Amino acid sequence: MRLQDIKVQLEAEQVAGSPRPELEIKEACAADLMSDVLASARPGSLLLTGLTHPQAVRVAALASLAAVVFVQGKEPLRDTLVAAEESGLPLFVTQLSLFESCGRLYQAGLRG
Amino acid sequence: MRSRGAGTRTQLTKLEELLRELRVEEVMTRRLVSVSGDFTMAQVKELLRKHRISGVPVLEGEALVGVVSIEDVTRALEQGEMGAKVRDRMSREVITVFADEPAVEAVKRFAHTKVGRLPVLDRGGKVVGILTPGDPVGRAFRVMDLRYREQEQQRWQQKGLGLEDLLGEGASLVLRFRVQGEDFAGAGKASVQAKRVLGRLGLDPGAVRRATIAAYEAEMNLIIHTRGGELTLEATPHSVVVEAVDKGPGIVDVEQALQPGFSTAPEWVCEMGFGAGMGLNNIQSCADEFEIESEVGRGTRVRAVVHLSQSGRKDRLNR
Amino acid sequence: MKLIEIAQRLGLKVEAGVDHLENEVRGGYAGDLLSCVMARAKTGDLWVTVQRHPNIVAVAVLVGLAGIVVTEGGNIEPATLERAEQEGIPILVSSASAFRVVGELWDLGIRGE
Ligand SMILES: Nc1ncnc2c1ncn2[C@@H]1O[C@H](COP(=O)(O)OP(=O)(O)OP(=O)(O)O)[C@@H](O)[C@H]1O
Ligand SMILES: [Mg+2]
Repeated sequence: MRLQDIKVQLEAEQVAGSPRPELEIKEACAADLMSDVLASARPGSLLLTGLTHPQAVRVAALASLAAVVFVQGKEPLRDTLVAAEESGLPLFVTQLSLFESCGRLYQAGLRG
Repeated sequence: MRSRGAGTRTQLTKLEELLRELRVEEVMTRRLVSVSGDFTMAQVKELLRKHRISGVPVLEGEALVGVVSIEDVTRALEQGEMGAKVRDRMSREVITVFADEPAVEAVKRFAHTKVGRLPVLDRGGKVVGILTPGDPVGRAFRVMDLRYREQEQQRWQQKGLGLEDLLGEGASLVLRFRVQGEDFAGAGKASVQAKRVLGRLGLDPGAVRRATIAAYEAEMNLIIHTRGGELTLEATPHSVVVEAVDKGPGIVDVEQALQPGFSTAPEWVCEMGFGAGMGLNNIQSCADEFEIESEVGRGTRVRAVVHLSQSGRKDRLNR
Repeated sequence: MKLIEIAQRLGLKVEAGVDHLENEVRGGYAGDLLSCVMARAKTGDLWVTVQRHPNIVAVAVLVGLAGIVVTEGGNIEPATLERAEQEGIPILVSSASAFRVVGELWDLGIRGE
């Protein structure tokens, strides 16, 4: 699935990071606990999270993830946007809950 | 001088290309502040001040009917008509741009019309954002910078220089970071920076990932559980050694601390996404060698070694 | 849909609250930040999380959740299971990731917001 398709499925907005609409993504990880992300997310996955702290972006960068989606319309903190711009990691915001986001993407073929 | 001129020109061409490539929606501001025609000019003034902006679109329902700007407010103020309705004071001739147009179109519109902002519409006519004159170029420069860094990283990786070539056998590169206890804002910066540096050295990306994940967990433990300490990453041609050392409080029962799920993290840390009790386990599963020593009142030392594959062997934990 | 049917269809292991599997599941909530669950989850939701801390039971009671699905397998602290039995909160375990479990629940027609 392309990042662009994910954005459409989640009715999300990109708020920071490189524009990479064509990036292919196969897997997703849904988590709010950072150690859990580091333990279970495979490189190249999409991170769906309710944690809008800069840590979410730093962890995603360290784990070589492809992009991050903040769920439930949570506004990223300023430092979070800066961290995303620094690492280039595409950062999105969706109004949908984590549950609904996972459901839609699973239905659309993403695995995790 | 001449070469600098040429450089500037290439930059400009790149900028133009990028402004053609990026779409308006990728450079606009989405958090949209708007007013309805019923607002008074006094309310508009407050809103502009609060958000530090110079104008807002006027919406009736979802339809864009005008724009009201700081100039309109100033005029109303001079005429003593701050109670007037926005509907009677706004400009109705609104110049807009579509979200899916190339950003360069917005730049042209700014150049030709001298407006201070362009409401952005989707093809259904709904307002989805707003642009100010600096937005397209500012964003394009940021994207250019990001791409430049990515390319540079790739160049390093392609060169495939081993540390040996850079340093010579027997030498090593040490990255040392002082980590403050409870410095949550800066937390993780050291490990992210280490990842960047090690990546540039052209080391196996999988091994760099493992080493810096281990470093991150150790760094977070210093921040959450101690008054601070030191984090070092030492790269040699054969391995990356991660070490975190602190001066207390120490761990009462190390066996227990190593159990997945065991955590003494305070509640506030949990709400920041930590305290799952999985950090030390993550370090162990990332490392080829792992050691932990701790003494209550004295401090803790965690050491993790990640071996570098010599033959370009696929990283085993590239899970 | 009843919790028992969901447990069967997804192959979840029941770790606590066997007597409450008739609970009706009205919706789903996923997430690991307890304060967010308290703020956003609704009565009758089935909660999907990796948290295994005893506090999850308290949250479930306060919100009136239909049950908890703990993901990524593993052991749940005995203290958590004890509290769940006392409070009558079903705890079901899946070895799959949260993403996958939610996807399968969604396939069964369970929705979030
Ligand atoms: N440097 C340290 N000094 C003192 N105690 C520590 C230190 N590192 C770990 N601990 C203790 O070990 C426990 C387990 O650590 P671990 O990193 O596995 O989990 P955590 O930090 O609690 O949560 P997570 O890492 O998942 O966010 C901690 O809760 C803490 O009690
Ligand atoms: Mg930890």
